[in-house]
Amino acid sequence: MKNNLKVERAIKDLTQEGLASLIGVSRQTINAMEKNKYVPSTVLSLKIAKVFGKNVEEVFYLEETD
Amino acid sequence: MKTRFLFPHKYKKIGWIFLIPSTLFGLFVIFTDYEPEWLRLPMFTFFAGGIDETSYFSIIKTNVANELASVFFLISAMLVAFTKAKNEDEFITKIRLESLVWATFFHFGILLIGMLFVFNLEFFTFMIFNMFTLLILFILKFNISLYKSKRI
Repeated sequence: MKNNLKVERAIKDLTQEGLASLIGVSRQTINAMEKNKYVPSTVLSLKIAKVFGKNVEEVFYLEETD
Repeated sequence: MKTRFLFPHKYKKIGWIFLIPSTLFGLFVIFTDYEPEWLRLPMFTFFAGGIDETSYFSIIKTNVANELASVFFLISAMLVAFTKAKNEDEFITKIRLESLVWATFFHFGILLIGMLFVFNLEFFTFMIFNMFTLLILFILKFNISLYKSKRI
């Protein structure tokens, strides 16, 4: 699964730390997701999408290998 | 995040404070056979082998230096290993699980090697160390992984 967290974060002018504290996770978690090293849970994906005011599908999307 | 089976974060520091001296004391006891007279105390036992007979559920006199070291090491290592991270979340929980699996593989891998290649009294010494390798390996692996994920 891929995501455009980094882009969305830039639009909202949020740091990794800032986004992390908004949704109550550690900064590493945001970093690992942006590096495609971690696939978040449904709950976390929904929270992130909510922060950006978008649907989950606009932030996270499947790859061909999924 | 809600977690099961983990101690609150504040105990991590207490764990580290006790872990370092108890490790040093434990190694000292093993390598110097440290058994001072003042630590020879009456202890209740489920069973203890003697020269002529085994005693069951009785009080025996024994040196508690090694018991002290193991108990302190075990409790402090458990605290260090199984307290929540400062901001425990699902990613850290994943690192925790992966480190635990990794440590379990290596712990029993070392045991297998010991079973096949270490014999007699040396095997007994080996087993004393092997009692603690799971915890030690887990603590090392988990903290290294956590550190790496912070740095990138």
